[in-house]
Parts: sequence; C-alpha cells; structure tokens
Amino acid sequence: MSTGAPPLPPKPQAKGLNCPKCGAAITLRSFGQAVTVVCGGCHSILDAKDPNLAILQQFEAITSVAKPLIPLGTRGKLRGTDYEVTGFQRRSAQVDGVTYYWQEYVLFNPYKGIRYLSEYNGHWNDISICKTLPTADFGGATYLGESYKHFQSTSANTDFVLGEFPWQVRVGEQAAVTDYVHPPRVLSSEKLDKEVTWSIGEYMYGREIWDSFKLPGDPPAPMGVYENEPSPVSLNVTGMWVAFAAFTVFLLVLMAVFDMRAKKVPVLEETYQYNRADAKSEPSFVSDEFALGGGISNVQVKTSAPVDNHWIYLNYALINQDTGQAWDFGREVSYYHGYDSDGSWSEGKRTDSVVIPSVPAGHYYLRIEPEVDPTLPATPYSVSVIRDVPVFGIYGFAFLALLVPVVIISFRAYTFERSRWSESDHPPMELSSISSSSGDDE
Amino acid sequence: MFRKFYFLYGALVLSTAAFGQYRGWSLDTVNQLKNVPKSVRDNPGSYRSVYAGYHHYTGGK
Repeated sequence: MSTGAPPLPPKPQAKGLNCPKCGAAITLRSFGQAVTVVCGGCHSILDAKDPNLAILQQFEAITSVAKPLIPLGTRGKLRGTDYEVTGFQRRSAQVDGVTYYWQEYVLFNPYKGIRYLSEYNGHWNDISICKTLPTADFGGATYLGESYKHFQSTSANTDFVLGEFPWQVRVGEQAAVTDYVHPPRVLSSEKLDKEVTWSIGEYMYGREIWDSFKLPGDPPAPMGVYENEPSPVSLNVTGMWVAFAAFTVFLLVLMAVFDMRAKKVPVLEETYQYNRADAKSEPSFVSDEFALGGGISNVQVKTSAPVDNHWIYLNYALINQDTGQAWDFGREVSYYHGYDSDGSWSEGKRTDSVVIPSVPAGHYYLRIEPEVDPTLPATPYSVSVIRDVPVFGIYGFAFLALLVPVVIISFRAYTFERSRWSESDHPPMELSSISSSSGDDE
Repeated sequence: MFRKFYFLYGALVLSTAAFGQYRGWSLDTVNQLKNVPKSVRDNPGSYRSVYAGYHHYTGGK
C-alpha cells in the first residue's frame, strides 16, 4: 500500500526564526507547505511565507481549554506512512443553541504532503483533500462512484489555532460546512468566501491513533454515535433476512421430508367406558400388549371423549413389558360451553394428544386409571396409540431460534442508525432506509 | 463475522431440528420411570401414577 514511502528525514529545524511579537523561537516543521504559523508563546498568527514572519493576527487563548491530545511535533506511522503533527485547531459549531466543539490536527510528511485528523467526543477521522471534485445535489453527493447521504450543514467557527497551517488560518473565521456520510467515510465541503474545499474522511478508533503515535495512557472514550461511525452490527441486515428466509425454506423442506418419512403406525385403538357404578372397585386396568417397531422414536397417545360441560382425567403409564421402563403422564379431556351476556363461549376440547419422546422398540402396554367428573354416571372414551409421528413444535422452535438473532441484530442496527441520524439535519422520523446505510461496507 | 456466525448457527439449528425428528423428540413433558414391576400387568392397582389425585377443572366460564 503506502508503506513504500522513504522514512522521514531527521527533524528539520528552521534556525533563526523568532516571533516578531514576543521573540519566542518558531519551529517550521512542514517546510514550504506552511502558509501560516502560530507562535505558541503569544498566539500571534504569522505569515510563514514572509521571511520576516509578518504578524497576521493575534488572539487571546486559554491554552488549557484547547490543549491538543496529540502534542505538536509528535511523530507516528499512520496507516503505514510516517507523519508529524504540525498544526492544531479547535473549532465549534452552534446547532439549535448548543455549541459543539471538535479538534483538528495537521499532519505532515515531506513526500506525502498534508493530511488531517479530527476528533469529536472521542471519535476520530483520518482526513485528506479530495483528489477529484465530488458532485453534490440536495440529498447527497457522489465521490469516486460512491454515494453519500447528506448529514448536516452548519457554520464552523475557528476558535483556537496552534502550529503550522497550509492555508491562511484566522481565529474567528467562519466557514459553511456540509457533511455527507457513507460509513465509515464522510465527505465534507467547506466553503470560505467563494472557495470550496472538499475532503474525504474515514472513521478511526482512538486506540489506532494512540498506537500510531505511541501516545501514553488511553484515548478518550467515544461518546454517543458519530456521523460516520461504522455500525458495530457490521453486516448487511438485509443479507441476514435473506439468509433467514433461506433457512426457513430449508426448514419447510425438512418438515415435508420428515412428515413423509414418518411411519405413523397405529398400534392400539380401543374404546373404553368408565362407570361410576364400578367406582368402588379398582378403576385402573391395562390395555392389550402392542409392539413398537423401528429404532428409537416417539409415540403419540390420543384420547377422545364426548364430554359436554364435564371432564375426564386419565392417568396413563406406557410400560415396557420386557424392561420395566415406563413413561407416566396424566391427560385431561374437558369441554365446557355456554351462553352469557357476552354471547356464546366454549373452553377446552373433546380430544387430547401427547407425544412421548424417544421410546425404544419393544413390547408395551398402557396402564390406564380414569377419573371422571362425579356428576357423570358413565363416560365412554377412546384411546389410540400411534408410533413415529412428526412433531411440528420442533420446527416452530427452530423457526423462532432462527428468527430471534435476526430480530435482535436488526433492532441493534436500527437503534444505532437512529442515534446516528438524530444528530443530523434529518432526524429519525424522516429516515426512510435504516438497513441501507448500516452495513454496505462489510 | 455476524453473517458467518449466523450461517453456522442456522445450520446448527436445522441439524438439531432434523436430529430431533429422527430421534423422536417431543415438546410434551412425561415422567420417565425405571424398573416398574412386571406384576402391574396382572395387578394394575399395585401401581400408582405420580399424577393421581390431580385437581381437575370443574367449571367453565
């Protein structure tokens, strides 16, 4: 990439340059690139092109308020190229009565020239001047074939400057700034008088900057979501939904295949009757023996009873005659209905079904112990046992398991984009597309 | 990263669903017991279900 640049030569020192105002030594680091240089002692802005360093402006400054996080003169390797920090400015913008401050750093390499770093609330951008002129319209801009959405237009004020600048910098200067975003990039136009400068920035994390310049301590923690900050949900949300749809189709295919291959063998089908007259004797009994074939598979036990505003409860035990292994379960069949001031109502069903999981092959019988509504004198009921049935609830769970991550990720992407655009000229209510800008750059 | 994870996760979910169907899984809860005496076949009253004495619904709306 850009690592082929020769190493930076020894630190240049422009000897004999002193501030004409206070006499402090002035160090010119960026050779002929500097147009203005600011005296660190008296904050005079000097004409770097003038051999006598003519004073262009002087300003009052509280340096403790605008202290650069990267000291001037710091050298580092930024994305493979050596740079030295030669200038620093603090800027501000007023939006809806709130003043926002950010910092900009001028970086210099004698072979690569000038580039910039900006920092706002712990969010960093690596910025360079555009090589070609972008095209902009009302809703966005295009640069090198990439579309950018309009984010914000505001007036930026220069509050504090230090070091060298490749332009005629002035404190108090106001420029019309317009930002267009395509995370992780931001395209900015800065209009000063009749001159428009376009720059392209790419989001950087503070840790990258700290590592590049070998700065002590930790970078300031980023606050909020920045205009071109890449979404932590670094994927195309639409792509996730497409994958989910594909999995759902696979799931339907799976369902069809297993439904077709399920044997659904009826192994017992009996109708019994429970008489209250027999209640004094032992109500429990056992069914005929039946064989369950195949390997390990499930067994469905269906119960139906013509109950009408009554219930019947059956204590079941499916018992393996050979091994003594048993599956014990109780099922109720109840059906109630009526009519009241709200109209007709009904509760329950006259049928019930239960699926016993993973039952090995063998010889089995059912122990059945009925309990019946005491108001019922005699109740017939039917019991049927079916071997190897499809369980559609499993597909329901699988569907939910596939859906939940996509919903969570979509929601995270939505809230992230909502936070991003809430700071823009186009607040979320006007946001037409969330997913389109959240993950196009994976 | 997320997409790869989701593809792996989705494949795992589908495999689990298929395996569950193959092995006859169920969403119903039953109580599994071992070593039920063979005498139950001849004397069903000698076995008592853990669900016996369940309090039944006796109403309606």
